[in-house]
Amino acid sequence: MTKNDNYVIKVENVTKKFKVFYDKANTLKERLVFWKRKNNSEDRVVLENINLNIKKGETVALIGVNGSGKSTLLKLMTKIIYPTKGKIITHGKLTSLLELGAGFHEDFTGRENIYFNASIFGLTHSEIDKRIEDIIKFSELENFIDNPVRTYSSGMYMRLAFSVAINVDAEILLIDEILAVGDQHFQDKCFNKLKELRDSDKTVVIVSHSIDAVKRLCTRGIWINKGHIRMDGDIDVVIDEYLKECK
Amino acid sequence: MQLINNLYQYRELLKSNVKKEIRGKYKGSFLGILWSFINPLLQVVVYAIVFPYIMRIKTDNYLIYLIIGIIPWTFFTTVLNQGMITVRMNAGIIKKVYFPREILPISVALSGLINFFISCIIIILFCIFGGVGITWHILFLPLIALLQFFLTLGIIFAFSAINIYIKDCEYIINFFTNMLFYATPILYQTTLFPEKVRWILYLNPLTELIEAYRDIFLYHQVPGFNEIIYLIIIAIIIFLLGLMIFRKLEKGFAEEV
Repeated sequence: MTKNDNYVIKVENVTKKFKVFYDKANTLKERLVFWKRKNNSEDRVVLENINLNIKKGETVALIGVNGSGKSTLLKLMTKIIYPTKGKIITHGKLTSLLELGAGFHEDFTGRENIYFNASIFGLTHSEIDKRIEDIIKFSELENFIDNPVRTYSSGMYMRLAFSVAINVDAEILLIDEILAVGDQHFQDKCFNKLKELRDSDKTVVIVSHSIDAVKRLCTRGIWINKGHIRMDGDIDVVIDEYLKECK
Repeated sequence: MQLINNLYQYRELLKSNVKKEIRGKYKGSFLGILWSFINPLLQVVVYAIVFPYIMRIKTDNYLIYLIIGIIPWTFFTTVLNQGMITVRMNAGIIKKVYFPREILPISVALSGLINFFISCIIIILFCIFGGVGITWHILFLPLIALLQFFLTLGIIFAFSAINIYIKDCEYIINFFTNMLFYATPILYQTTLFPEKVRWILYLNPLTELIEAYRDIFLYHQVPGFNEIIYLIIIAIIIFLLGLMIFRKLEKGFAEEV
């Protein structure tokens, strides 16, 4: 992190366009035969000229209707996709929870999957060793941890995945619509864990439609509408305006 | 530099990925990992029958000559075939999580290298029991294997990335590997060709590689200096070129795959 500003995520003039294909020519033959036909795709602008600074320790909610570009913005921050224009700078270790259990291997046991999943987040073996008890305890899967993951119910699967992601100790945590994990008991537990992260110096960015949870958890709200930032400020104010619009 | 940094930070992922590559390939089969040694041996059996008796090729120690050709060739093609599709195969995690994408081709090449070193035991066994014996020249093995590693890694860097955008790449490369098999002195000796055209054979870096393996295992001599220099230069160029292409294309992986 640079000394003079304490932004951990800096989004500068970011524009993201997706190519939308009507009939995707992917094989060489099709490309050669239809090389003149260039107009079978169209650029769709998902985000346009976004400027955003997120400070260290903030807990930010991205809200907006479906298709407004929230998830795309989150993906851009994780460097899974890259902006068409502009740039995004992040400081610190970043973990994203775009979909729980990405990279789980069905035939491996829960314990092996913890190692594999955590290694995707960039942890070393000894770092995982240190956390493994916490992860297993948090997931409450002590009795099943040495069974293959394919024998898990979907709830157990989610619990394991969430436990890994929440325990990797990232400085920045990006979460996409996964607050509804497991039963009520586990949901409360996740919620409390996120609260704990909020009160520490971790930075959290959440994309969610569950307005209630977001309102209790976050301090700052960013309303994204049709690829633009419509409003950015205190969470209560932003949500009030957003709800007014929705009605 | 950034590559080494990334690899160091994500070393656990690299390690578990290599393990997955080695164990996963023959998963579910009865003999498991043994297949990666049985396969080249069976291939050797076929050629050892076909060539001396049907094609009437006369080479001293032809069986050992063949094995030293086939096993490095298997290293090359396994890495190429698995490497070509590795980005596509891992589409699931590429779309969901960020990690240095270079890890994928590197773990394929690394698992191939480990497999190759184990396979070298077969070569050594044949050398000992075939009456050829082994000498200190075997110390050159890591250098030559490493050169082959970087050469192959460069190739799969390039084509695993290109394959995402042009899916035909896989089939075109398949055809070329078939041709390359015959353009490399695996089954025959280079002296089969008149001296005037023999240099064409030597443009192929695999020719130098396989001859170098034969030098250290079969002929017990130090590999030619010029050949090694040529290999080093080619390996560096192809590796850097491949990495450049991969870097250029990796940004679109999550959208295209």
